Amino acid sequence: MDAVLEERGGRRGPAPVRDLEGYRAATRARGELTAYVGMLVFLASWAMLFGGLFFAYALVRGRAPVWPPVGDPRLPLVLPGVNTAVIALSSGALQSALRSLRRGRPSPVAGALALAAGLGALFLALQVAVWISVHRQGLLPSGGPYGSVFYALTSFHALHVLVGLVALAWLAVRASRGAYGAMRHVGVRLWAMYWHFVGAVWLFLYATVYLL
Amino acid sequence: MATHPAHLGHPELQPIHPAPTSFVRRYVFSLDHKVIAQQFLWAGLIFLFVGGTLAMLIRWQWAFPYRKVPVLGPLFLRSTGGVIGPANYQNIFTMHGLIMIFFAITPVLIGTFGNFLIPLQIGARDMAFPLLNMLSFWFFLVSQLLVIASFLVALGPAGAGWTGYPPLSTNIGMPGLGQTLVVLALFFTGVASTMGAINYITTVIRLRAPGMTYMRLPLTIWGLWFTAVLNALFVPVLGSAALLLFLDRTFGTQFFIAGAAAVRGGGDPIMYQHLFWIFGHPEVYILILPAWGIVGDVVSFFARKPAYWYKGSVYAMATVTVLSGVVYGHHMFVTGMSPLLGQGFMLLTLLISAPAMLLVFNWIFTVWRGSIRFTTPMLFALGTVFVFGLGGLTGLFLGDISLDLYLHDTMFVVGHFHFTMAAASFLGTMTGLYFWFPKIFGKRLDERLGKAHFWITVVGLTLVFGGQLLAGYAGQQRRLFDPFQYTFIQGLRGLNRWTSYFAFALFAGQFLFIWNFLRTVFGRAEAAGQNPWEVTTLEWTNTTSPPPYHDFDVIPEVRRGPDEFENPAVKEALGRDWIGQAEEMPEPPASEAGAAKA
Repeated sequence: MDAVLEERGGRRGPAPVRDLEGYRAATRARGELTAYVGMLVFLASWAMLFGGLFFAYALVRGRAPVWPPVGDPRLPLVLPGVNTAVIALSSGALQSALRSLRRGRPSPVAGALALAAGLGALFLALQVAVWISVHRQGLLPSGGPYGSVFYALTSFHALHVLVGLVALAWLAVRASRGAYGAMRHVGVRLWAMYWHFVGAVWLFLYATVYLL
Repeated sequence: MATHPAHLGHPELQPIHPAPTSFVRRYVFSLDHKVIAQQFLWAGLIFLFVGGTLAMLIRWQWAFPYRKVPVLGPLFLRSTGGVIGPANYQNIFTMHGLIMIFFAITPVLIGTFGNFLIPLQIGARDMAFPLLNMLSFWFFLVSQLLVIASFLVALGPAGAGWTGYPPLSTNIGMPGLGQTLVVLALFFTGVASTMGAINYITTVIRLRAPGMTYMRLPLTIWGLWFTAVLNALFVPVLGSAALLLFLDRTFGTQFFIAGAAAVRGGGDPIMYQHLFWIFGHPEVYILILPAWGIVGDVVSFFARKPAYWYKGSVYAMATVTVLSGVVYGHHMFVTGMSPLLGQGFMLLTLLISAPAMLLVFNWIFTVWRGSIRFTTPMLFALGTVFVFGLGGLTGLFLGDISLDLYLHDTMFVVGHFHFTMAAASFLGTMTGLYFWFPKIFGKRLDERLGKAHFWITVVGLTLVFGGQLLAGYAGQQRRLFDPFQYTFIQGLRGLNRWTSYFAFALFAGQFLFIWNFLRTVFGRAEAAGQNPWEVTTLEWTNTTSPPPYHDFDVIPEVRRGPDEFENPAVKEALGRDWIGQAEEMPEPPASEAGAAKA
């Protein structure tokens, strides 16, 4: 028969499902995988946005004869360094929440999520402290390229921390009400992807803006 | 059959949701991709009209500088007594470009067709993320409102050209609030595009119907998908440029202001050009890839032949997508770029015309010796091929550094990018609109009006942009308020005036479309039927016009590629020259089978 029909393009589509149990599990996995793919595309996209900002920074810095420019105050290293540890710990707490969920032990999840959110808040508080101290030393957004780069990059990043912080707090509240389980935590994993991304951007920012 | 591998998917993986009943959920804050597509369509078409009107003002200025503008002058140019002043002129050509690119062609070509076609052509019940889809439209609407607001503030809207180069676009050049609002609008429309792109990419990867392999996707989907990839990766770079420009304008940062560079370092206006064109060159492919896809399908449908070398077209589009990210430097040949870098960009730029030409040849070979049906969409598709060919050829002149030194910033550039981005994208949009109108609205447009619209449009576009090419080749600089202040351009007055006459005729011809469109949408018209064009893709063969809320009663199982025409076996079995992508071939009659056995 196939020789008579001779359809271009090869094989036929799959037949209906017999195994409903397995099919339901597959449905959930499929939906979750779709969400992860979407999140990955979003993060790739946002990486390009930050990439544009860092590219601008590289060009500004490449033009400057001395960096930091003469007369501008030096940026502090310790407080932002502490902040790097803070956001790394926060990512770790979130990851441990995720691991507990995967292993089917939901009791420590709400606490770990709250810890991650709390560390995120601490990060923002320290960031504000850095801004205040640097501002007191006379570095202004309008004071030249050094201030421009510093304030633009850190504040745009802090905005992303703020978004993640609110989301983590919300996840913690939901987790305390028992909303997540071993098979139901796609929201946590999506926000974890986002949060790790924000952390990675910070690491890059700390290395290039503060250290280098 | 043995147990079914579950990961291959199944119709029931996407449940049928009940359609919302309240007006607001159904037509305003709708999650339905078909409604969102229509929202983008109306928003885009209205702005297309605004952008076209602005173009007429520019043409008026070049034909009759300092003369009162009829009709529009007394309405909108009261402060200058009905005449276009230099500042008005800046605003007009800037907003013409911005509106056409970001707020007219993008929403119609990508917003409408992407939303409408992706789920329907791949056999899905909706987008992967319907809520994100809705948000995408509302972000886009906010950006449009920001553009409208910019017209109402003191000193008018943006006036630094559509590219918004600093220092003109900083507070020094454009102190008004309008420029800031437009920069914000760009950021918002970028966010909307990114949201849409995430949805498109994910939907095509994850929600294809069973049997819809990548190489069975209609070319339209390939075009839209590559566009989405470019949107996702490069629109955020525009976002970063817009963000920095916004900070420069609002908080006094100095990214794009070259300060006392010798001592303290400083910002760099050229940096903006880098960021802008890293986005800007992919953008021209963002605007043409969906049109390529649509044309690829439509020429095959109406030549009643399979698309010539389907895979070649897909690979060519993929190559263009990749290359488009690495050619942006050709916009900056005269910014003092290192000659070595310039030559690299030149080579890549000329290279990109190879896959583009391959596509054109594939279309021509598809049409070659086909049983062509000259319907309105087919005419528009062939028109797209024609103007895109012209635009592509003139691009070679500009891609070559030694010629570009003379041609840059002339009307030749304007003519070139209008042929590719304006004419080809517009005709591609119209191809799609005429072709899918029956599916979107369930009615048929008038073919005679459509054909008249086609001839006026394609001839008009060619004459208008051809006139620009000539003027540019003769040395007329672009963006001049009154070109004839310069003695060497005075001889081109006649050419400019004639180009303007053609432009006015072209604009007038668009009313044929507006009349045809509105009359059919709101009036009574012949019902389209499920598959008026007798084509093969899922949206025509497996669902009604317009489709129900859940698109498909049963998710189709796809059996073959998108263009099964003129297959002798199909003709014998079904008595027609096409078979749908998910259609089952009937068993041959028993007597014949017996005969075959014997």
